[in-house]
Amino acid sequence: MSERRRSLFVLLLVLGLIAGSVFAVSSRDTKLGLDLQGGVQLIYEGKPTAQQPQVTQEALQRSLDIMRERVDAFGVAEPELLLSGGNQIEVNLPGVEDAERAAQQVGSTAQLFFYDWEANILDEDCQTNPDENAAEKRPLTGFYRAVQAAAKCEPQSDRNNNAADAPRFYAFNETSKQPLNNGQPSESRQAALTDLSDEERANAEVVEVPEGILVVRDEKPDADAPDPDRFWIAEDNPALSGTDIKNPEQNFDQQGGGEPIVTFDFTDKGREAFQNITRRIAQRGQDNALPGTNPAAGSQHFAIVLDNELVSAPTINYVEYPDGIDSTTGAQISGSFTISSAQDLAKILEIGALPIRLELISRSQVSASLGAQALDQGVLAGAVGFLIVALFLIVFYRVLGVIAVLAMGIYGLYFYALVELIPIVLTLPGIAGLILTLGVAADANIVIFERVKEELRAGRSVGQAISAGYKKGLTAIADANVVTFLVAFILFILATAGVKGFALTLGVGVILSLFTAVLATQAMLYAMRGTALLRSRAALGARDSKPIRFDFIGRSRWFFSMSGVILLICAIALAVQGLNFGIDFEGGTRITAPLERQASVEEVRDAIGINNAEIQTVDGEELGENVVQISAEELAPNQVDEVENALQREFGLADNASTESIGASFGQSVADNAIKAIIASLIIISIYITLRFQWKFAVPVLIALAHDLLITGGVYALLGREVTASTVAALLTILGFSLYDTIVVFDRVRENIPRMPNAAFSQIYNRSMSEVIIRSLATSFCAGLPILALMLFGGETLQDFAFALLVGTLSGTYSSVFIAGPVLTHWKEREPVYRARESRIRGQFGGVVPAYAVATAGAPVDVAPSESRRRRERLTTPPDPTRGVSSDEFEEMVRDLGVEEEKPSAPEPAGARSAGDRPAGGRRARSRAAKAGDSGDKPKKPPNRRHGRPR
Amino acid sequence: MAGLVWVMVGIALWHFTIFVPDHFWSGIVGAFLGAVVGSFVFGFLIHGLTVPGQNDTGLLNAVEAIPGAVLGMAVVYWIGLRQERLHPAV
Repeated sequence: MSERRRSLFVLLLVLGLIAGSVFAVSSRDTKLGLDLQGGVQLIYEGKPTAQQPQVTQEALQRSLDIMRERVDAFGVAEPELLLSGGNQIEVNLPGVEDAERAAQQVGSTAQLFFYDWEANILDEDCQTNPDENAAEKRPLTGFYRAVQAAAKCEPQSDRNNNAADAPRFYAFNETSKQPLNNGQPSESRQAALTDLSDEERANAEVVEVPEGILVVRDEKPDADAPDPDRFWIAEDNPALSGTDIKNPEQNFDQQGGGEPIVTFDFTDKGREAFQNITRRIAQRGQDNALPGTNPAAGSQHFAIVLDNELVSAPTINYVEYPDGIDSTTGAQISGSFTISSAQDLAKILEIGALPIRLELISRSQVSASLGAQALDQGVLAGAVGFLIVALFLIVFYRVLGVIAVLAMGIYGLYFYALVELIPIVLTLPGIAGLILTLGVAADANIVIFERVKEELRAGRSVGQAISAGYKKGLTAIADANVVTFLVAFILFILATAGVKGFALTLGVGVILSLFTAVLATQAMLYAMRGTALLRSRAALGARDSKPIRFDFIGRSRWFFSMSGVILLICAIALAVQGLNFGIDFEGGTRITAPLERQASVEEVRDAIGINNAEIQTVDGEELGENVVQISAEELAPNQVDEVENALQREFGLADNASTESIGASFGQSVADNAIKAIIASLIIISIYITLRFQWKFAVPVLIALAHDLLITGGVYALLGREVTASTVAALLTILGFSLYDTIVVFDRVRENIPRMPNAAFSQIYNRSMSEVIIRSLATSFCAGLPILALMLFGGETLQDFAFALLVGTLSGTYSSVFIAGPVLTHWKEREPVYRARESRIRGQFGGVVPAYAVATAGAPVDVAPSESRRRRERLTTPPDPTRGVSSDEFEEMVRDLGVEEEKPSAPEPAGARSAGDRPAGGRRARSRAAKAGDSGDKPKKPPNRRHGRPR
Repeated sequence: MAGLVWVMVGIALWHFTIFVPDHFWSGIVGAFLGAVVGSFVFGFLIHGLTVPGQNDTGLLNAVEAIPGAVLGMAVVYWIGLRQERLHPAV
């Protein structure tokens, strides 16, 4: 296909896609994440139970299905439930405002058992006494005391055990005796300690409750009362379970004052078992009743226990039901229900119990106002980022810049269309990813445009320069984008939820930007070739300028020293101050509450009564002026409610508070995943660089990356900034950005190595750097512009993210030029070929190696690059008619044909003469010179086939 | 955390090897490995084969990485010199 036809085809494709994108954008709604629209996010970790001793993928999937049914039954619009991180389930419930109720609805195990209560209750000596009425017994006060009492009992290893068919282990704080792990039991002593922080583990006491012994929380006195701190110890011999009932429904008690109840029917097996157990209870009540006592008071109890909590314990009246209760018309659970809690229980019972226990390790609730504010900030940061990048491109690249801005606009439209078509749930980190890809897209154009300018300065026509610019710039862009894409892919696979959104948009954006920034701009420019717009070099921003002649390698020792000092300062800061890990890593609770009345930090502290809480006021246009943020150790749901109630009481709440509770185990998994992601990224990057360049190029890249990551970490320690999950995402993005720069530099080094067969490696590097330094600085500057927009306008979350990126980008640019390159140079110079060249050059130039290669007699600085790529083309490929010869290439031809030697030559340097009569240059150059000398006047065929080819 | 501090100090000191004649085994990259491994192993050994956590890390951890890094680089330098003597460059 000819170039013109291909450009036309690409342009038509671009236009067609624009039309499609406009249709998609106008016909579909954008799916916003919870952080942008408000809602509840719950993250559960699967824990084994006695019935399911291992958390398998199948068990997790079954749990997920059951949870999905529950969410559907509760009528949440557009919920999102997914498996993540191996043993975690993430539940996103947009629009939901009550996080505690949502957690109760979705994640409760819902294991329901019915007990003959008097026959199972144990006293403090672990004895049952069925003849003693439960009304005359008292539960134990305090969970620790109850568990200790249960621990003293002998195991009841009979076949009836169900909820307690294996020993369970409870962890407590040794000093305060407060339960850890939210009071939930674990299947082993080790498991009870696994999820604790180091501090908790050091002071933990684990108590084993033997098989067959239950610790059951007492019944609530009324629906609104907090969970009582009273517990029964009981044997685990249930008469029926949740699987023996059907058709549970919320109803109202017609006989007992219209209280909400749950009614249900029994299965055939359940009906028989229910009749038998109620008969036994009635008969025992009758046997133990003293003459003349009220049957209602003397009757014994039938207990309904849900997830180790006593829901209710109704009496079985032995006068009314001497032969037990015939349950053909069903039965009811009455207890301390509100209408909604009775409805929830009915639905949960209908759907069934979860096969495993789910521990809530992270609970966040974002108010709709906070979400709207975050969306506004994200959109504003995106718009400003776009504008400043556009301004930069237009000022520096004129017409080319306008084309690039047009391509960026098209990129934005395509991206938005993809977000709606796939669909991608747009989150705040996702918006950050989108804004960053604007920088990536612009970087691709800068690499090409700088190359175009180089070609123009070398004497090519505008058309030829554009053609050559795209051809030569593409390798570096492809390499850099592949690496960024790989990092995004690894982030997506390994990272936690919020970071996943960022990785997805970054990955999609990188691929899309390759299409718009390379193919689309190329087609547009080809179509405009020959027009008045592209005739002037000045219109393309290509003024004649002297190349930068800086001795990068010679000066590198001072830059190395500077890096060494910076790293030392960072290391000391890290040692002395440490990193300020946020609740994402350490676990804890953060409450953001908009208050109606202004309150000082001390007033808020006094009101909430949590002494070690970190309290600060935050800005938020949408939330109002009096917004406080409270960060504390992980608070239980009821403690969060207490804090909110206290704030409401003392200062009034202008809107719902946003809360985020993260367990220590979730923080640990975030940290583990971050380390895995960094290691995986480094491995993949090394393999890619080795394959595309040489393995010796990969090592300096890794050293430069380590430099960037450590400096960013050190700056965080130095400034005491909080390290969050976003910071980790930013660190991984820094890997990609830093590599972009390094690859641009190394690509030119790779290109110059065969061009400069006589030069020392330091000269090759200096020459390469002088050619790409503007490009490198421009790409970094351009990548930095959207980051700056994120910092200035992005709100708290994005600012945190942008800060790490800004430090990393600065460090990345610096390390690409002054760390990676010099390390590569020093290492390569040990190779025999470069060692020989260096010693020859030293001989020629009085013991020094000039910073830049100098042409000497018989040995040009440059030779034409290898033709291996061309050879891979089809034999029938016609020569490119548009291809011309630049003035540099013409000079090369002149030199190669030996015309230069006929000019009056400069006096030979002393160094060259002292090296003997041998002509200067490498082996091939000397061979050429020798052949020329042998042949005398006989004309020689040019050694380079390319130069002999008709054009 | 102390492990990170040791490695950072090791890498910081490695930067100054640019002033030393390049006789390191495997050159500047060998020196890098020597500094990183030396600082970490030395710190690990003097802490009884443990790595202090975030709360137990202080200035002393940064200082104690210095002898390890210098030792590590010295070992790499010695190996390099020895190899040069055994196999002199042609």
